[in-house]
Amino acid sequence: MQTNYLLPNKYKTIGWILFIVGIVSGLFLMFNEYETDALTINVLSIYHDGILSSKEDGFFRIIENSILDELIVIAIIVGGLTVGFTKEKVEDEFIFKLRKDSLVWALIFNYAVLIFATVFVYDFVFFDVLVFNMFTPLVFFVFRFNFLKYKSQSHEE
Amino acid sequence: MKNSIKVQRAIHDMTQADLAKLIGVSRQSINAIEKNKYVPSTVLSLKIARLFKKPVEDIFFLEDED
Repeated sequence: MQTNYLLPNKYKTIGWILFIVGIVSGLFLMFNEYETDALTINVLSIYHDGILSSKEDGFFRIIENSILDELIVIAIIVGGLTVGFTKEKVEDEFIFKLRKDSLVWALIFNYAVLIFATVFVYDFVFFDVLVFNMFTPLVFFVFRFNFLKYKSQSHEE
Repeated sequence: MKNSIKVQRAIHDMTQADLAKLIGVSRQSINAIEKNKYVPSTVLSLKIARLFKKPVEDIFFLEDED
């Protein structure tokens, strides 16, 4: 099956490592209420509107920020995309179809969950829903794809 | 669409893995095709038929609802 957007199979392992390390450290940071001063450096902010400071507000400001959460976000997204879009050991039309079906399923399922959360979750907890929702399409996709792959592997003869 | 791949495999004494390797697909694909959960592409059907040295119609056939 010729596809032009799949990475070679060798990147799958590094994808899994990034994805899992990202998710675990992300959950850890979340349970610590996102409080951390680790890796605080100066960063460029395209538009800054802080809760307290006013002199730093405005376009294109250099601000101080802990980049730990940014690194975690990038790890989860890059890891998840890599896991989902690397070739299988044997890549063929059926695997391709499983991947495509999983993507569609993940998108619909994700928005169904988001609608449910919109209706039944309020205030600050909804902030958590929004944070989760940055990653859930990828998580659902990867989970569904591997589940379908595993399921179609069983029962020989 | 139904198929007689399983029968053909038995005649040639092949496992799903053997067949998958010979035509260059995953074992999952053969499994899904045999269980009628996946309709293979024309290319793949022709490859399977060629391997068993049979016309495609002897291996894949339409059902009433197709």
